[in-house]
Amino acid sequence: MTSLRKVRASKSVIDGSAASSDLDLKADVCVIGTGAGGAVTAAILAQAGFDVLMVEEGGYYTSDDFNMREKFSMPHLYQEAGTRATKDQAITILQGRAVGGTTVVNWTTSFRTPEDVVQRWRDKHAVKGFAYPDLVPHWDTMEKRLAIEKVTLESLNLNNRKLYDGCKAMGWDADTLKRNVHQCLQTGFCGLGCPVNAKRSMLVTMIPDAIDAGARLLFRGRADKLEASGNTVAKLTGTLLDAEGRTPTGKGFTVTAKRFVVSGGALNSPALLLRSGLDEGPVGVRTFLHPVIGSSAIYDEEIIPYEGAPQSAASHHFARRGDDVGFFLEAVPWYPSLAGGAAPGFGAEHLTFMKQVRHTATHIAIAIDGFHDELPGGRVTLRESGMPIIDYPIPPKLWETFRFAQKRLAELQLAGGAKVVASLHDPPLEIRSKADIDRLVDAAPYEPSRLPVFTAHQMGGCAMGDDKASSVVRSEDLRHHRLENLYVIDGSVYPTSLGVNPQLSIYGLSHLMATRLSQLPK
Amino acid sequence: MDRRTFIKRGLVGGAILLLGGGAGLALAPTKEQATPAGPLLALEPRGFQVLVAVAKRVLPAGADAASVAQQVDSLLSRAAPESQKDFGRLLMLFENALPGLLFDGHVLPFTRLSPESQDAVLLRWRDSKLTLRRTGYQALRRICLAVFYADEASWPALGYHPPSDLNKMAYDDSKLGTPDALPAAAPEAKDGGP
Repeated sequence: MTSLRKVRASKSVIDGSAASSDLDLKADVCVIGTGAGGAVTAAILAQAGFDVLMVEEGGYYTSDDFNMREKFSMPHLYQEAGTRATKDQAITILQGRAVGGTTVVNWTTSFRTPEDVVQRWRDKHAVKGFAYPDLVPHWDTMEKRLAIEKVTLESLNLNNRKLYDGCKAMGWDADTLKRNVHQCLQTGFCGLGCPVNAKRSMLVTMIPDAIDAGARLLFRGRADKLEASGNTVAKLTGTLLDAEGRTPTGKGFTVTAKRFVVSGGALNSPALLLRSGLDEGPVGVRTFLHPVIGSSAIYDEEIIPYEGAPQSAASHHFARRGDDVGFFLEAVPWYPSLAGGAAPGFGAEHLTFMKQVRHTATHIAIAIDGFHDELPGGRVTLRESGMPIIDYPIPPKLWETFRFAQKRLAELQLAGGAKVVASLHDPPLEIRSKADIDRLVDAAPYEPSRLPVFTAHQMGGCAMGDDKASSVVRSEDLRHHRLENLYVIDGSVYPTSLGVNPQLSIYGLSHLMATRLSQLPK
Repeated sequence: MDRRTFIKRGLVGGAILLLGGGAGLALAPTKEQATPAGPLLALEPRGFQVLVAVAKRVLPAGADAASVAQQVDSLLSRAAPESQKDFGRLLMLFENALPGLLFDGHVLPFTRLSPESQDAVLLRWRDSKLTLRRTGYQALRRICLAVFYADEASWPALGYHPPSDLNKMAYDDSKLGTPDALPAAAPEAKDGGP
């Protein structure tokens, strides 16, 4: 622990909440956001000799703080204390807010971007600046650095094993997946901050790398506005927040830098550009969420869905459905607060649902948005407070995808031995046999607030591409089309969703682009 | 006003417009449920009382509804200012007797109804054809339950006993995969942990 604690205590780490006066900072490169995009970029540029300053709104929490309790993690590690949602409240948004970003709370699932998706960007979204083979060495490097390896079938907990076995029983493709962990104790608490540093998030890898290479980090500093003059950004201005990240301290900060990299993620990056008046191009448009529905199944045997790696198997059998919308199937861990909010009903009915937990497995269908004209994604705009809100009305085609996916989830769960399958509708559909599936699901309502819809993957909103009308940054180096010293490097640059859990896609793309940036004169 | 325009007006603003009024049109005052244990950070005192009444029905019997409402208030204080305001309006709308009279045929505010009638109101909001009512019901229900189950006191009933203090076993392999990698040190729990 010495070295990680040393990093946290380093003079290069500036606690914005403790500043007694306004801060005026200077750097070669200012990286705004420290998640999958920002941390990789900061480390590579610092190692190349640039004077890098990272700016992060969230707190700098470590394994010393991660107590496996949602009472701590929701308010401290998630955007808007876990209450972030789409404008009509139909989709709950899980997104990290901390040093290390969402990588601190994700469930470690690691997929490279599918090759056909990268090809589609070239063909349909004018992404000409790189091709799939250009990304490969960067994924290789990041996989080594983050110990990303495929797990064995024997390591699956029963929650995941039921998914895997159910898919196989149906004759569908399913496989174990890759995770960014080393010496994982299988505690299952990835989503609440890894208590033992087994998860190789940005917090324990690229951020220490950046600091070791001379970078500085300001945390509890909220980036408010980029100030542009002519074709360059001159300055970032921001607000310092209290130790809890709840309210401004009354102090502010400015960063003067030669280059600025925006890495706030798919909602906060477009919001920063919009707050800065940099709304040229499709800023905030085509924001994708991989919207998710779930299905809980009760089995005779004990599942114990809160022990073991949260996600270790997946099925992409239905990912490519032509004119129909594709989706992929994964398991979700059971955390009491997350489950309490998602489980249907109230009072005694809800308690009954919760009490079955030890015999319950929950599987999800994750819809792949952005590949059909009818699924153009959502739009990020600013609220009065300056915070982002995403308007993502769920289109009819997506509701019908959910209906189709609900049937597939029920099929695999019954095939895997479930006694009863419950959709998370309020009130739930209770499916006990194959004959129930079409009858109940066809009659069920698929509309807002009849069933919970979640997103844990946010992509797009600052699309890359070489057609200025349909993109915000160019694809060769993710530089803004007009502003010569402004870059966006994070999940917001994707022109579609990814069709896989995003973290490794972002690591690879950021590593490639930061490597290109590192060739620039200092 | 067609349904589309109605929905576009947003969660609560549109509903107040349609239902003909805000908090001022209640026919009877809100019934006090509990005294807040500390200062309220996000909610108005009246909204807090409504939330306690909702929590009493939503949570398992015997739960400390006032404490949950207080924790909801604390969580909300970290949400966007707009969300805090919307939630406060939702509580007033839920409490308000006039929409209750128009839609559900009851003349008392939610806090003055019998427990059975309160459950019936919750179910009518759950099953409403109006998206705004369903959304309101889900917002109230979910935040109470999410906060309740975040608290360890609720876990024994579920047979859920997570480990604690594992962070004392944290190790540092942060250099793994770099030229500075330390020789791999096994974690203390060599048998695979808990």
